[in-house]
Amino acid sequence: MATPTYDAIVIGAGHNGLCLAAYLQRSGLRTLIVERRHEEGGGANTEEPVLAGYRHNMHAQYMEFFDVMPMIQDFGLEDLGLRTVMPEAQAGITFADGRPPVVLHRPDLLEATYTSIARYSKADAELYVELKQRAMKLEELLAVGLYNPPGAVPNAGSPEGVAMMLEGVFGDLGVAGHFVAKSPKMVIDELFETPELRALLYRTCVEWGFPIDSTGTGGAFFTFIMWTMANWKLAIGGTHTLAKAMTQACYREGVDLLENSQVERIIVEDGRAVGVVARGTEYRAERAVASNADLRQTLLDLVGADHLSPLWVKRAKAYRYGPSHVLGTPMFCLYEAPAYRSAKWDPDIDRCFYTMVGFDGPDDTARYIRDAYSGTLPKPAAGTWVNSLWDRSQAPPDRHAATGWYFLPCASELTAAEWEDVRRTYNERFLATWREFAPNMTADNVIAHKLYTPDQMERKNLMREGDFSNGEFAPDQMGPNRPFPEASNYRTEVEGLYLCGPSAYPGGGVHAACGYNAFKAIAEDLGLPSPIPADRSY
Amino acid sequence: MRERYDAIIIGAGHNGLTLGAYLARSGLDVVVLERRHEEGGGLCTEEITRPGFLHNLHANYHTFVDMAPPVADLDVRGHGVEYVRPEVQMASIFDDGTALTVHTDLDKTCESVARFSEEDAETFRRLYGEAHGFVDLLLGTLMYQPPLSVKELTKALATFGVEDKSEFLSVKLRRETINQFLDQHFTHPKVKAHLAFHGAVCSYTNDVPGLAIGFPLLVGKIDNWHLCLGGSHRLAHALWRDLAQHGGVMISDAEVERILVDGNGSTRRAVGVRLADGTEIEATQLVASTVSVEQTFLEFVDASVTGEDFAHKVKTEVKHKDWSLFSVHLAMNRLPEYEAAAFDPDVNRAWVVNLGYGSPEDLNADWADVRAGRLPDPRPNAAVNSLYDPTDAPEGCFTGLLRQFAPFALADGGEGAWDDLGRWYGHKCIEAWRSFAPNLTDDAFLEWSVFTPHDIATKLPNMVRGDWMMGEISLDNMLDERPLPELGQYRTPVNRLYMAGSTQHPHGFITFGPGYNALQVIAEDLGLERWWRKI
Amino acid sequence: MPAIYTPEWYESVKEAINAKVATVKDVPEGAWTVAVEIAGDGVSPYVADGDERRFLIRIERGQCEWYREIDGEPDVELDYRFRGPATVFDEIAAGLADPIDAALHGTVRVRGDMRFLMRQAELVQVLLEAYTAGVETTWPEGQPPYSADQGPSGPLSGEREALSA
Repeated sequence: MATPTYDAIVIGAGHNGLCLAAYLQRSGLRTLIVERRHEEGGGANTEEPVLAGYRHNMHAQYMEFFDVMPMIQDFGLEDLGLRTVMPEAQAGITFADGRPPVVLHRPDLLEATYTSIARYSKADAELYVELKQRAMKLEELLAVGLYNPPGAVPNAGSPEGVAMMLEGVFGDLGVAGHFVAKSPKMVIDELFETPELRALLYRTCVEWGFPIDSTGTGGAFFTFIMWTMANWKLAIGGTHTLAKAMTQACYREGVDLLENSQVERIIVEDGRAVGVVARGTEYRAERAVASNADLRQTLLDLVGADHLSPLWVKRAKAYRYGPSHVLGTPMFCLYEAPAYRSAKWDPDIDRCFYTMVGFDGPDDTARYIRDAYSGTLPKPAAGTWVNSLWDRSQAPPDRHAATGWYFLPCASELTAAEWEDVRRTYNERFLATWREFAPNMTADNVIAHKLYTPDQMERKNLMREGDFSNGEFAPDQMGPNRPFPEASNYRTEVEGLYLCGPSAYPGGGVHAACGYNAFKAIAEDLGLPSPIPADRSY
Repeated sequence: MRERYDAIIIGAGHNGLTLGAYLARSGLDVVVLERRHEEGGGLCTEEITRPGFLHNLHANYHTFVDMAPPVADLDVRGHGVEYVRPEVQMASIFDDGTALTVHTDLDKTCESVARFSEEDAETFRRLYGEAHGFVDLLLGTLMYQPPLSVKELTKALATFGVEDKSEFLSVKLRRETINQFLDQHFTHPKVKAHLAFHGAVCSYTNDVPGLAIGFPLLVGKIDNWHLCLGGSHRLAHALWRDLAQHGGVMISDAEVERILVDGNGSTRRAVGVRLADGTEIEATQLVASTVSVEQTFLEFVDASVTGEDFAHKVKTEVKHKDWSLFSVHLAMNRLPEYEAAAFDPDVNRAWVVNLGYGSPEDLNADWADVRAGRLPDPRPNAAVNSLYDPTDAPEGCFTGLLRQFAPFALADGGEGAWDDLGRWYGHKCIEAWRSFAPNLTDDAFLEWSVFTPHDIATKLPNMVRGDWMMGEISLDNMLDERPLPELGQYRTPVNRLYMAGSTQHPHGFITFGPGYNALQVIAEDLGLERWWRKI
Repeated sequence: MPAIYTPEWYESVKEAINAKVATVKDVPEGAWTVAVEIAGDGVSPYVADGDERRFLIRIERGQCEWYREIDGEPDVELDYRFRGPATVFDEIAAGLADPIDAALHGTVRVRGDMRFLMRQAELVQVLLEAYTAGVETTWPEGQPPYSADQGPSGPLSGEREALSA
């Protein structure tokens, strides 16, 4: 049989790979996606792994970029099945002693947010609302920054530039240029006096990959965290719906998608990537190969050190995964949604999209995060979602499906037997805590549960260490430094080989920017006609 | 979502996707609406034990590969489906340590049968030869055409004098059970047990009168069992891809609440659907339902449209299987090593293994329990897909599937009782397996999950009462009588509303038949050019 | 007494069919084009091994309107196609083998709307009888069965297997 030949091959049908492939095909390149798993979507997956009919998002939970994601508009994903809900109450923290929760509402309901924070502090409420309003105005700028190779927003790539911007936009609120050098925790502690709000913000920072103690990332609190905060959508049917719509767009463009085929090797001839070998079969790519796999896998395992310069081998080996953004996903099948003690102050906490459970204030929240980072199993606590409250398709009638995120140590910090033990016992420990916060979370209310741990994520989606971002978010691995300066523009030193996954700028998250920007780089190199509307600034 | 399409198909199982893809290739603007978050219906492969272990929660066996026209018409293989036909297709392992194996090599199968009875081996060879010969004719006559009536069929068989020309095919089979057929032609209980078991796995229960008529056809494809590499769900992807590449759309999480009907009396016509979230979608040409009769005519269409009589018929006359399947899905670190391998080493390579039914009477006894809502002492069948699929489990690991014939509702506690009993019964099934393969000690299983009859109905409510065939397999519910005489030709009391799922002739299983046959009727009504017709 | 597969033979078959059908009541409306493909199997002397003899028959209201031999794929839209080894077709024409039997056992493969064939079983039976017993045929190159010790449609499973593959 003749070797199957395409113009472009994309490794990995995660949402970035799907995005890239759709644009490539539309630009006239015959494109093949090769996927190791039997399902498309990578981290954008939704399954029923506990009981039939109970859906759980195994990785990505809340969607914040849908309003700006180019592919949604360009390929009409809403006609291909993508639908969303945006719950009114978005992010909340609840307490075991029944004191008032803090509930942050949607950006269009900031009065409700104000009321909630003001139960503790009017000053904090005013400041939060003001910061949020200004951060929302940065949306276009944020989109330009995300959906272009690093450096598109003037000065955003340097601490000095960000400092200037902070002073310009937030200076009258007491935010000064030196905040850039702070850690997110320092920023939060200086801005807000309410411990309950601080605790909520700490955790959200970390979920977005910004370690609370990492100095030099303070700017991101304003430019990114405050924008994304409580600006979240739920994909009807689960996060996987996005991957489905993207896949359907690919099919309709004519992309071929080969599942169940692990790429074993990227074929390099005369310094140029010319194809891949997947499950023993060779596929040729005449114009480009793009990898959605993580950096080390792409360069060291698939290309191989033989085809790389010593510097690139060093850089790839030095690239770090975790400890930030290493998560465990507990999944619960419930009769009733949790009813919190704190709801007596504000019933919205019972209908809050994302609810933090198991914390009392900033100190134990910080300890929790630090424990996980240092390889210690923290005392169980979680961010939780009960998506069936808004989307009845996610659980059988009169039942609920809840999913959460635990912060956990890197996969390699525990032995296989220890992870086995975590899977067996940790959810039960968390449930005991959950019950203190929501008395109806009794054993009788939980029909079944299961925990999906970082070591399993590593195996399932090749997310090393269970790192959702596929590479630590630290100043030396962010922005123009992602994954390392020489590789920051999606191109590699192997001609014709591109990076299109979260190891590339801007990193992990469901924004499809890595794939979209990689397309721009490939289109530029190959002189492809651009299907991107000319009147859009990204 | 768009407001208007030419054709709306309800349900993205393999029949819905198949019909959708043909219609899309015919130039219609098609949307396939799926209630679940995944397409495929019974083509459902999930990692319910551990990441990397692919478990087929429903369809595991593809027995109509290369017989069903859509496989070629829709270029299923070109869309990435890889089928494997395991060399050792099936085995029965008996309590006395002996075993019977069915191979893709007929001589080997006959050798195995001959170890029990040489006479039976010869009979089997003749039956297989005859059945295999007329498989083509029967498939063309019976499966991939809108159905004839039993009367028409009987008359034709008599006119052609088939009875005189065939050793095994006869008009009287329509009154007989598979047990009777086996007793007439075979002598050894174990040989009969295996053949009866094979029928049962295909939903042809051995003690039901009339089913003997279909039995020779089953034997004709006894060695055509295919495994879909990477899980059965890949076929769903392939069909979806064909649909989408030809301009159709599949929308998941689109639960239909209502079929919209205009006009009344004989002019009433399906014009669209309303989803559970209130969205209305118009269909300018047709609506086809591939879900259950009950959903379609008791939930989606108001009884005032079709008349109370018809609604009453749907409520009382639609027949469902009186048994369902209980499954245990296992993530394993070793393959079973059967003690019976000492008798026949090929059992260790058999894809599907019957564990312990030693005579048709053993099966009869279990049917009696199952029909009374009791749980039989498990004699599950074990399928180890990893024997033939290197991609369905992590390296050095294997998937396993135990399936046990079981009641949907238990006499004690109804179907809800499964939620408490599942794990316990799963244990018993594993113990039964271990009794034949002692190396399957507890540490052989990294994890296992059960999938009960109740789970089937929860996950796929179109499988009413866990009825995985979407309608009883019996003579009264066959051909144009399936699922009701009014619906037997894929048309319904509402113009331009069609039934195109497994409720229809031929039946459930991955046959592609209902979707393909509904297509013929729709093509006739809409005047579509039948490009797929190859003579 | 026409020789097999000669114009005279076809003409006689046509006449035999039409005469028989004239006696049948309730002949269905409509017209059908049928292709018959007779594959040389190294035994029949009338079709060289590896060669094929193909002819088309047009049936209208049960009557045979026309027939003709063709080379290669038919140039008209077909309703049915019958295909099998030459020896079997020879045996059928000689009245030695039963066409239903051959179809039932897959030796002659039938493509087309089987439902219609089943519904019109009576007519089909008449047509087949005309074909098998309606014409006295001569066999200039020898008459089936081709070997005394081989019963009708007995020994050819190998070729048949190859044809149906």
